[in-house]
This record gives sequence, C-alpha cells and structure tokens, in this order.
Amino acid sequence: MTPADPNRDADWRPRLAARARIQFDAIACQDLLLFPEAALALNETAAAIVRLCDGGRSVSAIAGAVAEQFSARDPAAIAADVDDFIHQLGARGLLE
Amino acid sequence: MTASPPTAPDRPPAPRPYTLLAEITYRCPLRCLYCSNPIDFARAQAELTAAEWGRVFAEAAALGVVQVHLSGGEPAVRDDLGALVAHARAHRLYINLISGGTLLDEPRLEALRAAGLDHVQLSIQDSAAAAADRVAGAPVHEKKIAVARLVAKLGLALTLNVVIHRFNIARVDDLIRLAADLGAHRLELASTQFYAWAMENRAALMPSAAQYAAAEATARAAAERYRGRLEIAFVRNDYLTGEPKPCMGGWGRSIICVDPTGRVMPCQAAAVIPGLEFANVRDLSLGEIWRGSSAINAFRGLAWMAEPCASCPRKEIDFGGCRCQAFLLTGAARATDPACRLAPDHAIVTALRERATADEADAALVYRDVRTSRKLTAAAIAGGGAPVRSN
Repeated sequence: MTPADPNRDADWRPRLAARARIQFDAIACQDLLLFPEAALALNETAAAIVRLCDGGRSVSAIAGAVAEQFSARDPAAIAADVDDFIHQLGARGLLE
Repeated sequence: MTASPPTAPDRPPAPRPYTLLAEITYRCPLRCLYCSNPIDFARAQAELTAAEWGRVFAEAAALGVVQVHLSGGEPAVRDDLGALVAHARAHRLYINLISGGTLLDEPRLEALRAAGLDHVQLSIQDSAAAAADRVAGAPVHEKKIAVARLVAKLGLALTLNVVIHRFNIARVDDLIRLAADLGAHRLELASTQFYAWAMENRAALMPSAAQYAAAEATARAAAERYRGRLEIAFVRNDYLTGEPKPCMGGWGRSIICVDPTGRVMPCQAAAVIPGLEFANVRDLSLGEIWRGSSAINAFRGLAWMAEPCASCPRKEIDFGGCRCQAFLLTGAARATDPACRLAPDHAIVTALRERATADEADAALVYRDVRTSRKLTAAAIAGGGAPVRSN
C-alpha cells in the first residue's frame, strides 16, 4: 500500500510541476496557483514558498529562506508549516 | 433573442466567475450514449468565429475568469482551434481542451501546445476496445489510446475522463491501471449525469446500487494508493447517494457557459428549463450578461429557495442541488432536487433506483447523432413540448 513517494525523501528539491502556473491576480491582489481545471489562492507566505520551489533548494533550505524573508520570530514553527504546505502540494502532484 | 432586463436595484453584486466553459461547437464524430449536448443540438446554426471567441475570452478575463474549458461537441473539428487557444493564452487563461481525441495527431498537438494549451482532458469510454466503441457508437478506442500516449509524451498535462455507467462500472480497476499506464496525471471517474442523451438512455446506463458502491470503494482506495502520482476523482451518482450535488458550484456563481452560437448560460444543460431567456454575446458584453441576464439571475443566491431548502443547514453547500434535474424529474425547476433524501419528490428517484437493480441493460439505445437529434426534435415539436424526454 505504500506508494513510491519521492516527496518524502529528505533530499527532495521540489520544483513546481510543468502543468502548474503561478500567476498574479489583479482582481484579488494575490497570487493564484493554476493547474488543470482548478486554482488555489495563495497568501503572501504560500506564494513565496511556491516561488522558492525551483528544483535547487531542499525543503529545509526553503523553510530557512521563508523564515528570513518574513523575519520570523519562531523559525521552527515556520519550518513545520513550510514542510506541511510543500507536502500537501506534493500529494496533489503540483510539486515534483 | 432579446437583451436582458437591467439589473434590479435590490440585487446583490454578481459573484466572480473563475471558469468559462466554452462549447465551441456541437459537431462531433462520436455518438456517445451519455452525451451532455442538448437533444436539439442539430438546430444550432452559425457558430461564433475565432475573433468573436477572442472577444469573449477578453471579457471573461476582465470578469475574473482564469480557467477556460474548450469543449464541444468535439472542439478539434474546428480548424481554427489553434487561433482560439492563442486568443485564450493572450488573456492569461489556463487552457483546458476537453476532447475525444480522434481528430488530434502529433503535429496538431505540438501546434496547440506552442499556442499555449496547458491541459488535455481526453475522454475514453472503457478499458476494452469493443465495449468502448459500443458506447461511443464508432470504432475509436485504439486511436484515443494512441492520442493519450502522445499527449503525455509531449509533456502536456493529461486527464483521462471516463463516464461511468452500467456497461463499464465493473472495470473501474482496469481503468485506473490504464490511466497510470498511459501517464495520466489525473483520472476522472465520472458517474453518468442524467441529462440530454444520457436521460434518453437512463434505463440502460443506470448501475445498480451494489455495482455503484463497489466502484466507489475501488476508486477511493486507489486514490490513496496513487496519491502524489495519479489524482483520482470520483464523481458521484446522486440518484444513488441521496445527496444532491452542488451543481456548477451554485447557479451563476463561479462558472459561466457560452454555447456554440453565443448564448450565455449558467450551465450547459439549462436550456431544458422552459421560460429562461439567454442573452447572447453577439448582442451584449459578457460582463453585462453575467450581471444582468434574467436567466443567469433566475436561481442565483439563496433567495429563490422554498422549503425544505430555505431552512436547510446545507443550503450553502449544495445550493439545493440541480435546477435542471429538478425540472426534468418533477416538471418544476424551483423544486428541491429529488436526488436529495429530504426532497418532497425523493420517491421519484428511489423508484428509479429500485428499477435499476431489477433491470437488465436491454433497453433500446439512443445514439447521439444529427439524424436522431432532428428526429427527436421534430417529434417533440409535434407533441407540443420541449425536445426533452418526459418522465
């Protein structure tokens, strides 16, 4: 029952799937993540995370960059949130 | 076609549409038993041109639309499909092509990708060729499988869509394996929705409750197993669940449909409801229609609801179900959808459910084609009714 899930690999360097696109939405003044037949509205942090998923950074490196970018007082909590969000997108096949 | 009346002063602001369903043609080489095109599709004349669609896409984007579904009929019967894709891309829309695949080949797919196509939703009818071709009414299965492989090879997103009914419901497992083998990113196992041609064939297509429960359990288990690799979506059969679907996410709420001749509708089936007047993009802008069309406003929001919907805690979840289904089953579009176990007319659906358990699929099959469309339309007109089946 356990799928081969590359997303759980500690060395995983997530990259936005080719079929997903991040696009600024001028009506709502926020970024949207577009993918087949659906869209997710991204808040500022979520959009920053998606933009850092460029295939060159590990999940912990992304968490570090986000913590720095938003001057987080609790980097450990940020790291847990980033990890959770990235794995949610991975489970939907939107990060590879 | 008349223009819509002006917006009533007490009407709340129109919601934002995110998705445009663009039915660019009703022409199609297939004859599927479950086709959702209107029975009288052969009457449709004068399809919107590529330039007219370009204007519709611009107006849709300005309203907030971010997803366009190029659908039909078979959208690839139009030689100017590439121009439509390019117009949609110019307005930053995410472009989904809803196709049967039989008219696509590698050069054409490459050109569509270059024009900005993002995603192909390809229909297949079954996992086995003979069974699939019987439902499609044409020998097309092998070609579709080849096209699915091409779409994946070219790096376009691929959804495989399979409408589920009595003839293929026992092979859900095979369909899941096939989707994974073809390199699909997503598999839609969509229970037949009983409108238009599917309604004509309802007795033959309706699975038994036991078949349906087994298929749903198989799909849900597979969705877990394939998580992260293949997304498996199972669209339920509301005759069998007792729970109405939130049809189109609510009437006139997040989806806007334009038919091949430019009529703007809340969903592609809405023309079955008598008395609705659809405005046309040839007469008014899409924004004016979305805000002011009497048809788009007919069941928008919650104020139109009667009991038991009006006081139901689920009214903002399922929006009272489907207005077209309410009309098709009860004759009243305003009624609670009989699929709901709380509906006064729910017995209509339970009777059909029990009949499906007893029946064999020996009902005469009605294939969707121009000749049959003309015949059924003429018969309905002679009978003084709308060209839909009465129940």
